[in-house]
Amino acid sequence: MIDAKKILAALVLLFAAVIYFYPVFAGLFLMLALIIFGGLSHFWHGKELKMMCLGAIIFLALFNVGLHGMKFGIDFSGGTRIPVILESPASSTLMDEMVNTIKKRASAFGLTEVKVRAVGETQINVEVPSSDPEFIKSVEDVLARQGVYIGIVDGKESMRGDYILPGTIYRVPPQALRGEDWGVSFSVNREGAEHFAEAVKGKANYPIYMFLDRPNDAVVVATWEELKGESTLVDETGMKNAMAECLRLDGNEIGLHLYNGDLGNLTPKTNRTKAVISKTLSEQIGGQLEAKGFQLQIVEDSDIAPKFLMSNDVQGILIEEWKAVGLLSSPRLSPSITTGIPNYGYQIGGMAEGTGTQKTQNAYNNERKIESILKGGALPIQISIGSKTIIPAPLGEEFLKLSILGLGLSLVAISLLVSLRYRKVSILFPIIAISVSEMIILLSVIGSFTIDLAGMAGIIAAIGVGVDSQIVITDELLKKEGTKDEKLAKAFEIVTTTVTVAVFAMVPLLFSGMVEIIGFAISTILGALLGLLISRPAYAAIIEGVGD
Amino acid sequence: MISNIYKGEYRLLLIFPLILIIASLYLLPTLKMGMDFRGGTLITLQVSNQPDAAAVQNDLMAAGFDANVKLYESELGRKMEIEVSQTEQMYEADALKAEFNTQLEKVAQLEAEANQNASREEEYEAERDKLDEMADRMFELSGSNTEAELYPNLNGLKTAFNEAYMKMSDLQMGQVMEVVDQSVQYTSKSAVTVSPALSKHFIEQAFNVVLYSAILSTILVFFFFRTLVPSLAVLTGAASDVIIALGAMCYFGIPLTLPSFAALLMLVGFSLDTDVLLTTRLVKRRGDPRENAFDAMKTGMTMSFSAMVAFLVLFGVSMITHITVYYEISAVALAGLVGDVFATWGLNAVMVLWWKEHETKRVSR
Repeated sequence: MIDAKKILAALVLLFAAVIYFYPVFAGLFLMLALIIFGGLSHFWHGKELKMMCLGAIIFLALFNVGLHGMKFGIDFSGGTRIPVILESPASSTLMDEMVNTIKKRASAFGLTEVKVRAVGETQINVEVPSSDPEFIKSVEDVLARQGVYIGIVDGKESMRGDYILPGTIYRVPPQALRGEDWGVSFSVNREGAEHFAEAVKGKANYPIYMFLDRPNDAVVVATWEELKGESTLVDETGMKNAMAECLRLDGNEIGLHLYNGDLGNLTPKTNRTKAVISKTLSEQIGGQLEAKGFQLQIVEDSDIAPKFLMSNDVQGILIEEWKAVGLLSSPRLSPSITTGIPNYGYQIGGMAEGTGTQKTQNAYNNERKIESILKGGALPIQISIGSKTIIPAPLGEEFLKLSILGLGLSLVAISLLVSLRYRKVSILFPIIAISVSEMIILLSVIGSFTIDLAGMAGIIAAIGVGVDSQIVITDELLKKEGTKDEKLAKAFEIVTTTVTVAVFAMVPLLFSGMVEIIGFAISTILGALLGLLISRPAYAAIIEGVGD
Repeated sequence: MISNIYKGEYRLLLIFPLILIIASLYLLPTLKMGMDFRGGTLITLQVSNQPDAAAVQNDLMAAGFDANVKLYESELGRKMEIEVSQTEQMYEADALKAEFNTQLEKVAQLEAEANQNASREEEYEAERDKLDEMADRMFELSGSNTEAELYPNLNGLKTAFNEAYMKMSDLQMGQVMEVVDQSVQYTSKSAVTVSPALSKHFIEQAFNVVLYSAILSTILVFFFFRTLVPSLAVLTGAASDVIIALGAMCYFGIPLTLPSFAALLMLVGFSLDTDVLLTTRLVKRRGDPRENAFDAMKTGMTMSFSAMVAFLVLFGVSMITHITVYYEISAVALAGLVGDVFATWGLNAVMVLWWKEHETKRVSR
């Protein structure tokens, strides 16, 4: 007996700790706790222990709500739903990739409260907890942004995303790789082939600087320490030359200002000149730059340093990657394509670092990276923005208030019904107490994901359906014939069957991907499970005396 | 106290569920498909004047739109909902888009090949012409003042095509709003569009869900009872319940949408609950089956009533807030719960009772 209590206490502490430290998974942990405590309360005998299991669950549910609060969909919190329409249907893996990329884009924008979810195969809904038109416009811009790829050789634009024929970018299968670890092939149109042949003529082994969204009219402002980053190279002049080299483009060079405590006579070329600057440095001199008329383009501290590479030939130090300016890769031109004769098919490839699976993984990552640069950004399928839904915050609040009122009302009405049916306080009180517990647990679990309209409807309904288990048990116990244990066993048999059947009828909906109604499915299933796992043993324990 | 309805000629009880089922089956073809399954656009306006919904609807019909306009009055303000079906042009545009995407890849591939091998040139030209035709049709549909010839670059053509497609839905919305603006003043506007592709996806998914749900339930029921007649009775009860709920949806004009679909599925679960309760008590218990049936009915009715009460409250909230999701779920659930009373205690109970009494006779002989 003492041991059981100790185990219980330890489990409660453990769950409380994980809920505290991993708020993202709080809902899942609560469900796990529900199953474990539910299982224990079947296994453990004695009224006191069964009650304690119920108490533990309620405590964890309240703890979670108190700590992390409840999340509500925009129907209740107010906000805007922006549908992102895919240009062609996506497979489920591709869809996951799209959803994750859009999430990343939105979070880079500081939009942490954004919800992104797939609807069918051709649409992704983005929900933003704001209805400010200007803000929404900027979100739409971030979402719809399609990257522009350019390749620069020796200060000349030699390749453009436009030249690449759509749908011809492929990862080269391993058996077709000639001695390299990875490769990506693509075809270009005639204009592109001719332009490229001319631009790279005689430039064998030159790097082609592959940029995605290279800023136009910009200057990088950084300290030498920032630029040097973690590089172990010592040739400062060589490094500076390498940086200047990769920023070069005839007629549209990106400037570089080494900041050493003084902006000197740095002035913007036009009123749209951008200063590319790290977050940390911008806190220090962002204001000064803006006062000079620069627009700030703030990048992560880790992105401001270029990746230097010491090459073995005459080129000396090279820049491999410089995220701050959109330089993502700089493969070398193979001599065979620098003869001046137009080529229509190209392949970018190379060796991968590491050994074994590590090597395979690196090769794959390289392929993916080049593929996405050539495609003009991380989104594998092009998108457009559909017409949006706006829910004003006050309206959402009103909806929430009335829904919660409904929840309370439903509880009162069911209590009334039960009291009319049984006319016994000793039965009425436990039923109400357990219904309230179920409601708390449901709100806490579903609230740690998101409560949307369908979810709320499900919770209100669950109060009515959840009470069914108690009704079955009460009616069995009130029967005259049979011992108490027999009656309970019969009641449990029915409850187990009905709950199993009800849950399985809804489960296919859970996996259908129909996000609008998944909330309803979850609350209905959870409501039924609660009836089986928690209320059944606890209620039976409380009401045990009734049948005698 | 109510007397036992299963005393005497209980087979007469079949009349009620049978009438309901036949009436429902008769009404079934008139089931209204909601926007989720039919496609279309739902525009929601917070209205600030006193427009006449019927007049707006007539104006929209006159302008060639299959529209349905509703005006809701509540403490939360006046709300107008305009549902516009997907137009023929939108269907065509959607199909065109799918074709275009496939053709584009083909043409790109051919262009790459033709560049290196002149003998493919002819085939490329022919396929490219087809692609251009599709694009021109899209430009025509969307009223875009451009033509495919202006885009020799495939990327350019692709972008122009997709812009035209997006323009189409904007165009339709614009035309609808032009009519609406004449008589309605509003403070905010929202729009949800379900494209033909998305509605097709929903239909497929819903079909799968129904299929899997039916298979799982059947397997479970047979697993629990392991006897043919009671299992069949339970499944008949659940199926009848859904049919009656669908009949009520037809009668009251509740459209089949994702929420009402979810409610129907929940009904299957609930209906199986009461059916299982009844059948367990009848099949696995000793004593007078008729008494057992009536006993089960008392418990089952309490269960049904408590569920009805919860959905009635939800229905009430939907009346105040005009939240369609609440309305569709609660209305369908209420109809189904009422239907369940008849299906379980009129149909299922009679089937199992008759089977039980016949089996008892067989055994005693």
